[in-house]
Amino acid sequence: MEIQTKYFGTIEYDVKDVLHFEDGLFGFETENLFLLLPFAESEATLLCLQSTKTPSLAFVVMNPFSLDPNYAPILPENELKAMGVSRSQDLCFYVLCVVRNPVSKSTVNLKCPVVINDETQEAAQVILDMPEYTMRHSLSEFRSREAEGTC
Amino acid sequence: MLILQRKVGESLFIGEDIQVSVVSVDSGGRVRLAIDAPRTLSILRSELRSAMNVNQEAAQEEATPLELLNFLEEFASHNDP
Repeated sequence: MEIQTKYFGTIEYDVKDVLHFEDGLFGFETENLFLLLPFAESEATLLCLQSTKTPSLAFVVMNPFSLDPNYAPILPENELKAMGVSRSQDLCFYVLCVVRNPVSKSTVNLKCPVVINDETQEAAQVILDMPEYTMRHSLSEFRSREAEGTC
Repeated sequence: MLILQRKVGESLFIGEDIQVSVVSVDSGGRVRLAIDAPRTLSILRSELRSAMNVNQEAAQEEATPLELLNFLEEFASHNDP
């Protein structure tokens, strides 16, 4: 299949790679099909969540564990069941980034990760019931934390 | 802002046709509410509304992802010994 994308022009994709969000994303309830496309081939840190229906709709997402190795999202039982897994660790997690100018002011939403069951390609955006995670963590927050760790 | 106390089983009215009742309060402080309101009214948990707003902002980035990628790479080299 072929689609127009926001960042990569027209690309070829395999139907089996399409993620199915039964409930869409918050505020985008009618967008149910997305592709996860990495920005840099070498690293899977920064990716693009591209709608297959709307070429202009794409989210910049990040691997939260590469930002914060201690990130430990826990989903409640009913959400795990809906995703078809028994443990939170069985899911893949990505977080949406609000890209600001300058980019150092960008934020990531650790509170509402996108979760993916990579065996079924079922996906959802959830709101974690964990007060330590907010919807706007500054990227610079992670730099200082990591720098501290190396000292 | 109006602040008032209600017990389980008690309720309050907002305007003529919105009734909010306290159903239960558990030991963790979780309050279960019942809301009786016209169907046309949108009722959203506040965190859901915030999540929708953040997603809207995320859909309209101010800088290119390439700039962000460069920034992140700088980050990584900064952390390398």
